[in-house]
Amino acid sequence: MEFCFLRILKLTMKVLVMLLLFLGNIRNSAAYFSSSSEATMHTNNWAVLVCTSRFWFNYRHMANTLSLYRTVKRLGISDERIILMLADDMACNARNKYPAQVFNNENHRLNLYGDNVEVDYRGYEVTVENFLRVLTGRHETAVPRSKRLLSDEGSHILLYMTGHGGDEFLKFQDSEELQSHDLADAVKQMKEKGRFKELLIMVDTCQASTLFSQLQSPGVLAIGSSMKGENSYSHHLDSDVGVSVVDRFTFYTLAFFERLNMYDNASLSSLFNSYNPNLLMSTAYYRRDLYQRHLEEVPVTNFFGSVMETIHTDSAYTSFTNKNFGGAKTKIFLGQSFSSSDINSVRNSDDEDQFNNLTAEEDQHNEVGQCIFCAMDSGHLWSVIIGNVITHESVDFFVCYGLVLMLPLLVFSTWLSL
Amino acid sequence: MEEISNFPLNPEPPEEESPQSQMHESTPDRKTMRTTKPGIKRLILSLTVLFSFIIGFPFLWKSIEIYRAPLPFDRIESFSSQLESDPLHFPCRFQAIFVGFDFSASRGLGPNDVAAAITRKMSQLNPNSSRCGNCIGGDYDVSVVIDSGSSCAQTEGSEAKCPLKCGEVVFGGKLSDEDFDEMLKRCLGNVGGGGKGYSVVVFNGDKEEGEVRAVVGKYRHAWVLGHVSEDEAVSRTAEIFARVFMNAGSEGNSIRSEFMPVGADGRIVLSFSLLNAEPQDWIYDWSFHEIDKTLLHPVIQALQPIANITVESQVLYYTPKSSFSYWDDIHGSHIFSTKDLPFFLNSNEWHLDTSVAAGGRSKVLQLVVYIPSAKECPLQLELPNGDLSKTNGFISPVIHLPSKFPYFIILAYFGILQMWGGVVVWNPESCVKDLESKDPDRRVISPQNLQKLFEVLMGQLRQLLGLKSDNLYVGQSGAYILLGSERGFTEWELDVLSGKHVCFNLHSCATTLGSLSRLVQSLPRMIIIDEIGKQVKFSLEAAKFAQSYASTGIYNASAVSSRQARSLVEDAFFHPSIMSISYYSFEHCFAIYSPFFLPVTMHVILAALREWKRYKQENRKYLAWKAKERIVS
Repeated sequence: MEFCFLRILKLTMKVLVMLLLFLGNIRNSAAYFSSSSEATMHTNNWAVLVCTSRFWFNYRHMANTLSLYRTVKRLGISDERIILMLADDMACNARNKYPAQVFNNENHRLNLYGDNVEVDYRGYEVTVENFLRVLTGRHETAVPRSKRLLSDEGSHILLYMTGHGGDEFLKFQDSEELQSHDLADAVKQMKEKGRFKELLIMVDTCQASTLFSQLQSPGVLAIGSSMKGENSYSHHLDSDVGVSVVDRFTFYTLAFFERLNMYDNASLSSLFNSYNPNLLMSTAYYRRDLYQRHLEEVPVTNFFGSVMETIHTDSAYTSFTNKNFGGAKTKIFLGQSFSSSDINSVRNSDDEDQFNNLTAEEDQHNEVGQCIFCAMDSGHLWSVIIGNVITHESVDFFVCYGLVLMLPLLVFSTWLSL
Repeated sequence: MEEISNFPLNPEPPEEESPQSQMHESTPDRKTMRTTKPGIKRLILSLTVLFSFIIGFPFLWKSIEIYRAPLPFDRIESFSSQLESDPLHFPCRFQAIFVGFDFSASRGLGPNDVAAAITRKMSQLNPNSSRCGNCIGGDYDVSVVIDSGSSCAQTEGSEAKCPLKCGEVVFGGKLSDEDFDEMLKRCLGNVGGGGKGYSVVVFNGDKEEGEVRAVVGKYRHAWVLGHVSEDEAVSRTAEIFARVFMNAGSEGNSIRSEFMPVGADGRIVLSFSLLNAEPQDWIYDWSFHEIDKTLLHPVIQALQPIANITVESQVLYYTPKSSFSYWDDIHGSHIFSTKDLPFFLNSNEWHLDTSVAAGGRSKVLQLVVYIPSAKECPLQLELPNGDLSKTNGFISPVIHLPSKFPYFIILAYFGILQMWGGVVVWNPESCVKDLESKDPDRRVISPQNLQKLFEVLMGQLRQLLGLKSDNLYVGQSGAYILLGSERGFTEWELDVLSGKHVCFNLHSCATTLGSLSRLVQSLPRMIIIDEIGKQVKFSLEAAKFAQSYASTGIYNASAVSSRQARSLVEDAFFHPSIMSISYYSFEHCFAIYSPFFLPVTMHVILAALREWKRYKQENRKYLAWKAKERIVS
């Protein structure tokens, strides 16, 4: 019910704004200039991975994000260039039967919470404000480098978000929400300062496509798991863990990437075509009108992997050390300084072929995950009523007219009270 | 109150009486007329409330107004347009001194003609001299001194002594290049007061002298010794001026040469890492402190105007590379090719970015020395032209190092603009692992090897800054030996760097200012605190200073000011307070205030309307009665 209310509140605002526009208060009439970054080369890759949910029953969102994290790391984006925002309350949750482990599959082959998971924004740090600060780069001075998106006009950025969303908003940890125009504003500002060359926004939430509706900056490509009015479902339930462990859209995205390594050349269009609406139980949506290149020609590693240009150094600067360096050097004994030399070698657990037998199992697990509107009882009732009375397209109109009708009612009641 | 009691507002009670009252002719019809003037107290009262609301509205509007510090939009506009139309140039003065030449005898040319010839030649060699940060293009300030031994002629305004005093000394003594350089510096001093003076001295020798020796010193002087013709002397002089002194030997057009790897706050952190891939085979350490003191310190001093450099170092263990290499019998070493270089960096295992010294916007340049494990021990890089590297065996083809230390060098970039740093692979002297001992094999890189390593790292740093490290420049009219400086950068190289740096900074400053002003103008609900306004103002001032210093040829001050201008405007653009936009959009403002005022305002307006209507109605009644009275009377 809370979200229904929020939604109506938002629409109310919309209507009020429409009224105000009538009064001449036009906001944002000036368009941003798009700085010309056509000439710059693609020189580096960044990834911003956000899980906007917390609490145990949202286990799958953390698993989604960690799976994506693992994939982009495997394909070559280094930890310094990944901003991971995670509530991070699953691995050590009291309800977790597998302490300090997170799985995205019930076969429990791959522990996503294994080595070297560097969470940049954890727990209550995952807020809309911090998210927008990461995107726009406006941090307090004390914020360390590892928490900053230090991209430039040659960067390709992957922005992955998962959580609970609705029409033009994405809920952040049950307390606040990111609206589509906030996101569009932030992206606009990034474009203005040349903080990216191309941006791929990938969103796995209910009604994900509505989050892209306000975007208007060139070079942005957006993929959403579902259209307006559709829910995104979880893939399967892990009976040991007790909750669903992965969402459908992310599951099939990962299944696509598991076949690839960093040398591969699969194109973005092959990724997009790999989504089967019957398996997803929703329609994946691509917004490509802001994106100039042909998707057939763009390898997925442009966003999910990393490029690096290397140049061979031709010569040393020999004349640099003409002075007599190291002629009579004191011998340094290093015995003491290595007292901690028994560092144990950290071995990577062999976590390959995790996804190989996933496809075989998928049919057995058609546990449909919950989305916010259908999950909460009152919300469910509401959506049923709305669904019966009107189609999703006319909801806006219905609410608009309702609000307009309320105005004369207010006038009338005031009149009566006089 | 009186009127109200006389004429009850309620229309109903009179209505009840009306049937009786209508019977009397003389008494006016209460429904249509009245005998007294309608009261205006209530009207005034309700209108007063309404007006106070209306008057209060501007105050409310003012009180909820968003504070926006005024930004000098027009100055920003004019600054960037001026920078575009009139690229920044430094004044340079060139002085050519010909000793032992007699242009007037052989060619009939005076010093002015020779100067014109050099200028012409320089323009040919340097067609894109209008590039920002360069010497003032087109019309170079060239002065010429011709000392034929018997006579001496010079162009007007030339400040050199004529005849040149130290010429004889040179011919007599056999000086090393370094000593010669020092001596020239003493003789010529700093040519020209304002701006930088570059000079080339050509000594005409006998035919027996052997080959011509052309050397570019580490200050701003170059000399040519040997038997050269007049034409050759002119073209060599022009080439040294145009190609070496003005462009630092680089082929000017690449994007890379425009870019400086300096952070937005004007800082560079040089992070040196020694990576022991497999500490169970051997563990190397280095005496970094020594290097920092003797080798790095002068370099940092030399680069002081360009960037505020700090140095840090670390030794890491268990850092395998992430690409594969294969054993090659012919070379007797493990080989991996250049196409695998992008995968050499193992970002998951190399935890390099540990810098706490680096602020959010400073630049960290990683300079990495990689020591391979025993099972990949002599690790060699195969260049794309595989043949070359095969013939050279252990030695990487272009580095002339003793084969005992077969290390090769990778300069790894994460792209051009976001430079990462460099990697050197250093193979231990002996690749044989000590199988007997159980303790880790601890070794220290010897000072000689360390020095060699740092020569390579220095080469990488220079490459990152866009300079080559060859000690030979081969031009159209011959080869030139380039003397190196123990500071890592010669003075003329630093001049070129400063020029580029100032240019890059000012351009970046102008674009950021433009972005900021567009952003501010397009978001009318954005709060702009005073600090941002101040930063923009100071940035513009610093940029002005940088431009004026540049026009007088003070490289260092100009570089410092431009750095300041850039860092200030970056601070302004990325000021954390700008974020508030997302939480104070107009919708929010409206949603906050409308519940307070909408219900009350509605009532006040309706009351005023009602009163107004009542007054009009009552007044009409009174007028009707008045008219009737007049008729009656």
